[in-house]
Amino acid sequence: MKDVVVIGGGPSGLAAAPEIGKKGYDVTILERNGELGGLLQQCIHEGFGTLLFDKSLSGPEFADIFINRVHDTGVKVELETYVKSVEKREDGFEMTAVTPKGVEIIKTRSLVYAIGCRERNRFEIKIGGTRPAGVLTAGTVQRLVNLYGVLPGKNPIIVGGGDVGLIVARHLYLEGVESILMVYPEEFFSGLPRNAQQCILDFDIPYRPRTTVKRILGDKKVEAVELVKVDENWDMIQGTEEIYRCDSVILSVGLVPYSEKVEELGAEIDCKTNGPVVDEFFETTVEGVFSVGNLVQIFDYVDDAVQTSFVAAQGVDKYLKGFSSKRDKPVKLKPGKNVGTVTPQVIAHDADDDIKIFFRPGIEKEGARIELTSGKEVLKHQKKRYVRPSTLEEMELPRDILSKKKEVMVDVR
Amino acid sequence: MSISRKVKKVLKKFPYDISFVVDEGIVLLEGEVNSHQEWVKIGLNIGDIKGVKGVVNEIRWKGMKEGKTRAERRENIASKNERKRLGKHEVVIIGGGIIGCSIARELSKFKVDVALVEKGPDVSLGQTRANNGMVHPGLAPSKGSLKRRLNVRGNEMYGELCEELDVPFKRVGSLILITSRTLKKYKRYLPLGLNTGFCKYILPWLVKKKADRNRLKGVEILRGDDIKKEVKGVTDDVISAVKIPSTGIVDPYELTIALYENAKKNGVDFYLDTEVVGFAKEDSMIRGVITDKGVLGAHHVVNAAGLYSDEIAELADTKEFTIHPRKGVELLFNKRIQDDVEHCLTELTLPSHPTSKGGGINPTVHGNIIWGPTAKEIESKKDTSVDKKDIDEIMERYSKVLPDFPRSEFIRYFAGVRAPSFTEDFIIRPAKEVQNLLHVAAIQSPGIASAPAIAEYSVEMLDKMGLKLERDESFDGSRRAMDRAAEMSDDELRSRIQEEQRWGNIVCTCEMVSEAEIIEAINRGAESFDAIKRRTRAGMGECQESYCLLRIADIMSKELDIPLKNVKKEWAESEFFDGTVRGEEG
Repeated sequence: MKDVVVIGGGPSGLAAAPEIGKKGYDVTILERNGELGGLLQQCIHEGFGTLLFDKSLSGPEFADIFINRVHDTGVKVELETYVKSVEKREDGFEMTAVTPKGVEIIKTRSLVYAIGCRERNRFEIKIGGTRPAGVLTAGTVQRLVNLYGVLPGKNPIIVGGGDVGLIVARHLYLEGVESILMVYPEEFFSGLPRNAQQCILDFDIPYRPRTTVKRILGDKKVEAVELVKVDENWDMIQGTEEIYRCDSVILSVGLVPYSEKVEELGAEIDCKTNGPVVDEFFETTVEGVFSVGNLVQIFDYVDDAVQTSFVAAQGVDKYLKGFSSKRDKPVKLKPGKNVGTVTPQVIAHDADDDIKIFFRPGIEKEGARIELTSGKEVLKHQKKRYVRPSTLEEMELPRDILSKKKEVMVDVR
Repeated sequence: MSISRKVKKVLKKFPYDISFVVDEGIVLLEGEVNSHQEWVKIGLNIGDIKGVKGVVNEIRWKGMKEGKTRAERRENIASKNERKRLGKHEVVIIGGGIIGCSIARELSKFKVDVALVEKGPDVSLGQTRANNGMVHPGLAPSKGSLKRRLNVRGNEMYGELCEELDVPFKRVGSLILITSRTLKKYKRYLPLGLNTGFCKYILPWLVKKKADRNRLKGVEILRGDDIKKEVKGVTDDVISAVKIPSTGIVDPYELTIALYENAKKNGVDFYLDTEVVGFAKEDSMIRGVITDKGVLGAHHVVNAAGLYSDEIAELADTKEFTIHPRKGVELLFNKRIQDDVEHCLTELTLPSHPTSKGGGINPTVHGNIIWGPTAKEIESKKDTSVDKKDIDEIMERYSKVLPDFPRSEFIRYFAGVRAPSFTEDFIIRPAKEVQNLLHVAAIQSPGIASAPAIAEYSVEMLDKMGLKLERDESFDGSRRAMDRAAEMSDDELRSRIQEEQRWGNIVCTCEMVSEAEIIEAINRGAESFDAIKRRTRAGMGECQESYCLLRIADIMSKELDIPLKNVKKEWAESEFFDGTVRGEEG
């Protein structure tokens, strides 16, 4: 019986495993690909590690730091391993894993899910029209270009101003595509302002805000798209349709946590984040099952995502020692009407340390006031110069203000 | 009253100058109307006349796209290929949909040299592909129609056929739901109490009576809690229901692929990627089928060209019917949805739509739930586009039946185009002007359910047309389905991996498809991504290819020994990618 199995060898799994391993536990990472690093391996641009290491690293460089930690702490790694099923047993969990060597049964006392997210596709945003070849997600294009040296097309259009889209746009531009255009429904790019500046504005790549693709045209291969203007609610404005010729459509329209597997295990899912509900140690509603990184919610910076792993590592340690700090009734953290998502969703323990919460504003506002309230009582507030949905915010939550509270609301005013 | 007089009477209702000719029950219409809608309406009105066997609707509508280029293109290709010999067969079937493939397999039971010509690179690329897979029981078609006879018979044949071909088929049964909306259009004539009573007692009885008349077995009337037991989450508006146990579900392209594989095994020659562009004729007989690859000599020809069957007829100089394309949009839901839909559900609304049974809510054999199809007359046979308003229409319509269903959790939408004629019945008969051509055309719903019976009936017709049929004792009707990692026990999978480690490399994580399955699909003839997808289900899960597309394309590139950028989605010129980064050889 293993102490801990970490599912996923991307950044958040790589960060969690050695942190737990160095406390002396028997830890194994299961990774479905042939190498560790996850999405980092296809991110050959720089910008990783600025918060954690004060350095701007490429994806593989950032991954290497953690891969070294994995090896140094004696964490076991199983590559090309697909977890088919996980079942709860009295003394832990029994998992069935498929690998090119066979089908293995693995038993473990606790589990850390670090399986990240997937890209939203054209169906989820209801793009109409036909279904020809040439409609690809930005992550697929990034992999295609960086790992295979192949381009998606000569005249791509990029839909959505998310980070992967911004980076892919710059890359395609530099690879000499004949034409390129980025469209997105927001007033400003939904990716980080830093990426918008360095990827689009610095290169004069054409872009159109408040615009989306209504229909894809083309029988066998993408021939054009029908663009349409949208209003501030993203509703299409009739009469503004326009045909734009292109040979590929690249979608950067958001990421969705891969929550299917934890849901199957019985974990409660937060319909706002689409990830599992977690407490301040990133334990899900299934005891002994932890969830970290982009599976919990979509982070803007990998540096922030891996911090969840560090905190979860403490939680796993406490769990394996038999938690003694659990409250009878957890405090619920809820997003207010101007907030999209909040994590963790529950505070389940009594402890001394403060808690760091992450929330995504639902509105764009200058001179915002962030409030933690319980009923009508304001527990804490702080000023923020500027908030917008594209930037995830964090805030310290002192435990003492939670005493005797049932529910705390996070809101932006 | 003669057909001519009836046609004249119908045309009087329309404010246009339409000329017509009636010849042995075939009505040829010419003239011009304002819109495509009017074109459809006139066609249907004429097709409805008793005794009319076909409507050739050559009326033009304003804004109609010129069809001439298509004919010119075909003539051009024909003139280049009419001297090239491609092969010689006793029977040449045109069209590789479920109908063409069913006939091919049926004929392979006899000592006949058969070939099938399909313009696409795989079978089941037309109507068949986008069907929702419902095997109708044979309730809807009207008395005396060919549809009804073949549907009832076809449905009966399904169990045995699918067992032989190792194709999943489930007789899940269907429920026709009678609700407070069923008689909405008659509200003016029916006070509420009367309406409810009618819906509770008389209407289900009438439906059951029709089912009994069509010889459907085990049909039951359900009321109150009995309905709620059968259909979890059903609307409170439901008043009564009629349950038909013989309704089934099947995967239409999997069945078509199975028919294709089995027919091939029994000696049928398949010419894929081969388009029929004309016929070499002698008097009223076809001697050769001219394709873009050369000429196929033939004693008998079967026109199972689906949407294009009217054009094939025209190429053979025997215009007898016009196909009016009718689009259907479907919405496919995530397997994760816990709300089990166990039966096919349809809400009855009266008066029934003249040309559509209204679609419904169906389970699929793979564990998804599918809503649809819609029915919309369209101008172009190739128009499989889906718009947001189609999706909204489906959602609104079926949410009324299952109000709490998580309707936003669909994973894909798609559309197919049906191929009805204006008489709205199947057209299975020898061509009027060509002695050795059999039309198996205008096969729309319930075409899937009827397919096995259509094949049987078509062979009977060929027999009557002089084809010599002698049983082939060496016929082997069995076919083995693809093995699937997802369906294996741990021990089974373990031993497969021992033999071949690629069984342990899972490339599609949503549907748990291994690399070995991708390779097996390629070995079975799949050359495109979609052909692999149809055989393995890779890419059909929640993420809709966003994880596996590139991984599978990479395997295809290696196995088919082609550069990654030549990997196709389906057709020629449907490559996924184009171009290489700087410094790489293009």
